[in-house]
Amino acid sequence: MKTVQFSVTSRLVGDAAVIYPKGYLNNLSGESLVKECGIYIGKGITKIVVNFSETDLINSIGISLLLQIIEDLKNIKGTICCTNMSKFLQDTFEMLGLIQYMVVFPVESDALQYLKVGKV
Amino acid sequence: MSAELKKALYNISALADLGQAITSESVFHEKIQSVFYVITGTFLANRGAILSYDKSADRLITVTQKGFPPADLDRVDPEKLMSLGKNEPFLIGDSPVLAIAGVKILAPLWVRDEFIGVLLLSGKLTGSPYTQEDLELLNVIAHQIAIALNNHSLFMDLSDKLEENRRLYEEMRHIYHGTLQAFAAAIDAKDAYTQNHSYRVAKYSTAIARELGWNEHDIEGMYVAGYLHDVGKLAISNDLLNKVTPFTPEERAEIRKHSTTSHNITSKIKFPWQNVQDMVWHHHERLDGCGYPEALAQESLSDGVRILSLADSFDAMTSQRPYRKKMDVQTAITELKKCLESQFDNKIMLVFCKVLEKEIKGELPEPDILPYLDRDSDLSVISSMLEAIIQELSAP
Repeated sequence: MKTVQFSVTSRLVGDAAVIYPKGYLNNLSGESLVKECGIYIGKGITKIVVNFSETDLINSIGISLLLQIIEDLKNIKGTICCTNMSKFLQDTFEMLGLIQYMVVFPVESDALQYLKVGKV
Repeated sequence: MSAELKKALYNISALADLGQAITSESVFHEKIQSVFYVITGTFLANRGAILSYDKSADRLITVTQKGFPPADLDRVDPEKLMSLGKNEPFLIGDSPVLAIAGVKILAPLWVRDEFIGVLLLSGKLTGSPYTQEDLELLNVIAHQIAIALNNHSLFMDLSDKLEENRRLYEEMRHIYHGTLQAFAAAIDAKDAYTQNHSYRVAKYSTAIARELGWNEHDIEGMYVAGYLHDVGKLAISNDLLNKVTPFTPEERAEIRKHSTTSHNITSKIKFPWQNVQDMVWHHHERLDGCGYPEALAQESLSDGVRILSLADSFDAMTSQRPYRKKMDVQTAITELKKCLESQFDNKIMLVFCKVLEKEIKGELPEPDILPYLDRDSDLSVISSMLEAIIQELSAP
């Protein structure tokens, strides 16, 4: 199986940061996702959208890193929205009970609208 | 698929993740950080720590952690943990075994009868309790971490020992070379005219060997042979060594015994180099078979012997002797050239000329021959001479 090197890009939309992880979230390179979110949180951003359209798989290391982001946002009463998730990702988050700490949307635009006006 | 089955599959894949993290080729701190993420991700623990036991200081050292005050971790008493079950997860509850706020569960890490450290975890993010399945999984994980920490500790111990051995070896080498120098000084002290001869021959020989592309081990052997080639002269009387008038045939025969005596003395030493004895024994042999002590044929003479023979003769010619004045460098080189094929090897002569030429041109950072040549030598004349010889000997 060809492994895609994990990378992260992001953009600011209004007062929300949209994060685009790319690749399998399964090793220390996933720390860049936490770091990227931390940069926005450090700047006072409390709304984060993680668009998983290019991340189909996650393992326990990835869950731990995501846990860290959830924890960081929890501490500042922020919101994390997850969008474009594969069935595997959604099933895993549900099974672990993580889904209660995030707001899930099928697409990024829905999440941004929710963060802007409080509903889709 | 039921939730229990999904969770079981997740746990199995977490064990696979753990195995991958432990067996990866990453450096230790990356490896242990990956292991730590696997554990916190598996149990959804938002705080945790892996501490390793430092036996010599009888304290626990934090290898990695998240969320606990470092000062609290520093205060963990290893004695209390050692009384708990080996690698058995222990739910803290109200037990006074650990006084760190937020720690819900711990697993003392053991390999056989060796206490290795401890794994600490907070409660789960979801607030749900640790189940029996969690405890069983944590027990397996604890075994794996204990082995990984122990392997690292053993590796570090071995590295320390290796470093210590390397240091001791260097000290021994230093002492060894000091002893050799003392030996050489004793040889040279017998003869006022050959002061530092052994040292110079060692330097010249190693310069040639290095230019020939020998490895460092063999070059060191060459150096030792250079130092010890005349050790047999210790058995010759001072009167004979310092005699001003020509030797009688009997005296010459006596003098010639020194290379065999050198061989006999060095044969008692178990050198880490293969051919030191051969080099000291045969450094007066000649390519035409007219040398001594064994009048060996050309094919029996190793490169080491040929190097030592040339280096010894060159230094002898450029040094004062009781029975003659020292030659200037040009004359000595002319003499060496005259004796090519009968006494000295063309290839060794070519390399000797090349290395001396490089030293004169300043192409070598640490010259081995030039510093010991007559200071009045005209280097430009010598250089032209060397260039001509190099050209001649390099011709097909």
